Amino acid sequence: MSWEPKIVGFLCNWCSYRGADLAGTSRIHFAPNVKVIRVPCSTRVEPSFVIKAFQSGADGVLILGCHPGDCHYIEGNYKTMRRVPLLKKMLKQFGIEPERVRLDWVSASEGQKYATVVNEMTEKVRELGPFNANNGEGQHGKN
Amino acid sequence: MEPKIGVYICDCGSNILGKVDVPKVVEYIQNLPTVTIAREYRFMCSGPGQDLIEQDIKEMGLNRVVVASCSPQMHEPTFRRLMQRAGLNPYLFEMANIREHASWVTDDPDAATEKARALVSAAVRRVYYQEPLETREVPVHPDTLVVGGGIAGIQAALEIADSGHKVYLVEREPSIGGHMIQLDKTFPTLDCSACILTPKMTLSGTHPFIELMTYSEVTEVSGFIGNFKVKIRKKPRYIDVDECNGCSDCEKVCPVTVPSEFNMKLGTRKATYRPFPQAVPSAYVIDKQGKSPCSVTCPAGVNAHGYVALISQGKFKEAIEVLRRTMPFAGVCGRVCTHPCETECERGKVDQPIAIRALKRFMADYELKNGREKAQPVERTKKDKVAVVGSGPAGLACAYDLVKAGYTVTVFEAADKAGGMLRYGIPEYRLPKSILDSEIDYVKELGVEIKTKTTVKDIDEIKKQGYKAVFLANGAWVSQKMNIPGEDAEGVMHAIEFLKQVSEGKKVELGNKVAVVGGGNAAVDAARTALRLGAKDVSIIYRRSRAEMPAIASEIDEMEEEGVKIRYLTNPVEVIAANGKLAKVRCIRMELGEPDASGRRRPVPVDGSEFEMEIGTLIMATGQAVNKSMLPGNIAYSESGTVKADEITYETSVKGVFAGGDVVAGPATVIEAVAAGKEAAISIDRYLQGTDMKEGRPEEKERVKDVPKKGVAKQPRATMSKLPVAERTRSFKEVEAGLDENAAIEEANRCLNCAVCCECLLCVSACERNAVRHDMKEEIVEVDVGNIILATGFKEFDPSVMQQYGYGRLPNVITGLEFERMVNSAGPTSGKIMLKNGEEPKSLAIVHCVGSRDINYHEYCSSVCCMYSLKFSHLLREHLPNAEVYEFYIDIRAPRKGFEEFYNRILKEGTILYRGRPGEITDVAETPYEQGKLIVKFENTLIGEKERLPVDMVILSAALEPHENARDVARIFNISCGEGDFFIERHPKLDPVATMTEGVFIAGCCESPKDIRDSVAQASAAAARVLALISKGKVETEATIAEIDEERCSGCRVCNLLCPYGAIDFDEEKKVSKINDAICKGCGACVAACPSAAIKHKHYTTQEIMAQIEGILA
Repeated sequence: MSWEPKIVGFLCNWCSYRGADLAGTSRIHFAPNVKVIRVPCSTRVEPSFVIKAFQSGADGVLILGCHPGDCHYIEGNYKTMRRVPLLKKMLKQFGIEPERVRLDWVSASEGQKYATVVNEMTEKVRELGPFNANNGEGQHGKN
Repeated sequence: MEPKIGVYICDCGSNILGKVDVPKVVEYIQNLPTVTIAREYRFMCSGPGQDLIEQDIKEMGLNRVVVASCSPQMHEPTFRRLMQRAGLNPYLFEMANIREHASWVTDDPDAATEKARALVSAAVRRVYYQEPLETREVPVHPDTLVVGGGIAGIQAALEIADSGHKVYLVEREPSIGGHMIQLDKTFPTLDCSACILTPKMTLSGTHPFIELMTYSEVTEVSGFIGNFKVKIRKKPRYIDVDECNGCSDCEKVCPVTVPSEFNMKLGTRKATYRPFPQAVPSAYVIDKQGKSPCSVTCPAGVNAHGYVALISQGKFKEAIEVLRRTMPFAGVCGRVCTHPCETECERGKVDQPIAIRALKRFMADYELKNGREKAQPVERTKKDKVAVVGSGPAGLACAYDLVKAGYTVTVFEAADKAGGMLRYGIPEYRLPKSILDSEIDYVKELGVEIKTKTTVKDIDEIKKQGYKAVFLANGAWVSQKMNIPGEDAEGVMHAIEFLKQVSEGKKVELGNKVAVVGGGNAAVDAARTALRLGAKDVSIIYRRSRAEMPAIASEIDEMEEEGVKIRYLTNPVEVIAANGKLAKVRCIRMELGEPDASGRRRPVPVDGSEFEMEIGTLIMATGQAVNKSMLPGNIAYSESGTVKADEITYETSVKGVFAGGDVVAGPATVIEAVAAGKEAAISIDRYLQGTDMKEGRPEEKERVKDVPKKGVAKQPRATMSKLPVAERTRSFKEVEAGLDENAAIEEANRCLNCAVCCECLLCVSACERNAVRHDMKEEIVEVDVGNIILATGFKEFDPSVMQQYGYGRLPNVITGLEFERMVNSAGPTSGKIMLKNGEEPKSLAIVHCVGSRDINYHEYCSSVCCMYSLKFSHLLREHLPNAEVYEFYIDIRAPRKGFEEFYNRILKEGTILYRGRPGEITDVAETPYEQGKLIVKFENTLIGEKERLPVDMVILSAALEPHENARDVARIFNISCGEGDFFIERHPKLDPVATMTEGVFIAGCCESPKDIRDSVAQASAAAARVLALISKGKVETEATIAEIDEERCSGCRVCNLLCPYGAIDFDEEKKVSKINDAICKGCGACVAACPSAAIKHKHYTTQEIMAQIEGILA
């Protein structure tokens, strides 16, 4: 079997998870590569979850939350918005392409957007190729 | 206890089994080391499916369960209840969503199977670590908040209140009733809308369990189901709701008329209004949109909007009283004011500003012409005496305000007569002395004593005479020298002395050639006065250009008309005298350099450009300074040589001595002097009363933000006739003639009424119950409620964006709601359907789906337009039996009780229906028959032909859309908007009244467009849900919250600020942070941020999620 990107999706319970459900109930077909973990809010996503995903064999991580201003917990997504760029910076230092992590906003009514984001992400990761933690500059991240 | 996990994989009929190879997944899962049993079943959620799990739990001793089926949003509660029934903690259950997230989203069975396997495997690993959690129960507050006073809100409020529970019904408009009260008849039964709604409105207004809060908006909601805290902003109504009996006396006297929102701007209302006669509450409201630009801009705060509005109504006497509330100088300022108000006037953005100064002068002229009544002396209510030094505009304005405040005021004036610069500085042709005398008399009549020919310098002396406070308004009477050689020669004069001597009637000898140096008003006044005294050749020498000239532009124009020449960019450098007498003036050319401190470009001499002019008289008007010899010796001065006074209080360096006007500011305008006098009066009053002089000053005035100008036709502003130039130069007769009554009224009617209420205060005196309160402030009320129902309704789509239909451009194209008001017998046309020219239309077209079912605007169907359009046809039949009525539709949607029957009835009544959405409505005729008509261009899709239909009137059945601020409202209540900004229901089919936020329900058109019947049904449903919660009396708190491990907490406090609910406090004793579990909502922000990993998120622990990640990738 040829290589297929493995992507872990962290979806907030209130907007994005429901958006993903809506994509399902609307029978929108899209890439099967993103597998979803439901979190209360995108702000629950610890940087270590992302690292853990890469350690466990993921080729990409997708984090989805409510649109800015629409957070069920008032402002959680704003914290995510500030946290993820820092995480990407760190990943880069580890030799991990920052594009392997994507943060986006999908509301409960955006089934189509969810499908589009998943397709885009899958294609992006396919372009980047398989992630190998032992590749290239990953060395100084290992001690 | 070692976990024993049971995994149950659902086929969901063929929904899952159709794509996912369920037996293969079961086989894989069964082989996982932690799994005790894995089973497949057709419908896991069915009774037998649940029994299967329960049986396994009991027989196999399972202590953890995974169900792989649909979305947890659907059945997580079902299986958690099953866990409880089987004696297990519900949090030891996990669900894998293999339907919405796997089988339904791919064509590929292998991919679906692989995805399902991964998701179930993740759930199994996760559930291994899950822990039992306990919830607490908290009581539900029995009060309810209903937001929106349309039919849905009213219905919900009444249902709950009728059960004996308190409801706060909040409505942002002055009355409840919503859109329904605007409708004429309702389909399909043709009930009169007001007839069926008003009883419910009245009941809501009087119900013992409903607290009505109209003209109010919710600004903040905190807390959670059962225990919300709500902040409500009660906008000031300016009329006491309890005192007002709705008699309409205030409305009758109100001079401001604006379009009526209730009547869709087809009619008008007053600034003091009630939207419609059956309004609940019946109390009036005053519409204040802030302060009008003219009033805000006036340095003295004169309410120009007030007197302009009253002039527009012919209430001239009342108008001048509005001005006199602030100052006594209608005639003076009506002539000489620099009118900053006009510069800011919003009408200027349409064509030209309102001629405010001319209108002010008109009031004074009108009063003088008709004989001014003597003013009544003001009663002395205060024991203290105040001395004012100087009777110019600053001194008199201060005396005026103080005498009105009840003080005994004496004005000391050094000159022969009162008036200061107004008398001696401004020539007769601009300000006749008779006008000034009359206004000074008015001040005296109020009780101000003016002692002329009295110089006051010694403060102690004046205090000995019993004066407790002093206001120095001596002015700036000393002409500044230019410091050029020869300027003391005979024949060189100074403008101020020159003007004073002329005013006093003294003879002044002038040469034939007169030159005035300077570019201010004094220079212009001096030049024009010299001309009138017979000088043959008068010119102005000014060192900058016209753009920098500080004199009033119209005065410069008039001066030039009269023949005064201006030499710009020229400056005298030497006065050449012969025998001590002025003969020539040597000047130098200037050019403009960089801007200086005043913002004007600095003049720079051009080398070698000197030239000489022969001059008979040179008048210097190059600045005025304070005469220190006339001021008390112990007073401090500023750097610029004027009296030093506090910017806010105008108090000088000597306690109890205040100063203002030119003596402080240097030469400035009349209105600025008046402003200073008024501010000093406030300070003196506070000083004498012993209160803080600075508190609340300067007063903040909120200028009105947006002034609607749409549809305002251009109309030139009124101009005054002027004396012919030939006549002007021969005499000191006033140049401008003033406006007559008709011109004044017409000019005043150009006012856009920016602030709506003009604060003329006629309503205050008209109200017999003293219910008018212009000083009312907005109020923030906080209430506790257990549940919230949102019924915020819709707004009508504005079809002007669809330019092809010409709405807003073609006069007889109207919207559905406009037609509702027009056809209503209580509406603006008393039920007469008429064209803009007042004629009856003979043919009408009704266009369906305007803004609805149109991907350019709203893709959705607005659900009510077909039926209300058909209703319009019926109403037209009733009102205009001979008119031709056409409807243009895409499909007729008549799916409810009685709708199809109603449609058939309309067909029988003779309405002609065309299937096809019109492409354009135009007034461009192609045949004589189309001339003067609106031509509907459309494709008759039933026969496939393009047609043109000329009609007199077109009604656009506009879409229902959410309010512009729907998203803001959603944010306040922590719910979501879907596409199109309608609020999202919890489930589109099974839970259309709840939202994602527990305790917040939605009803009516804010959820989606619907008719009255559906709105009522949804409102009742929402009320039933609320009553169920109130009846149960308690709710469970969130169990999946965060918890801090004190042992691990380093006390860094990073989490404290991160919590959006402020649930985390720092324990100063233990030096650790603590989470208040009653406030925590379980978002996880703090958990992810804790650098010591000391915070545990129950049910979303790091361990659980890490296991899930491993599982998903296994």
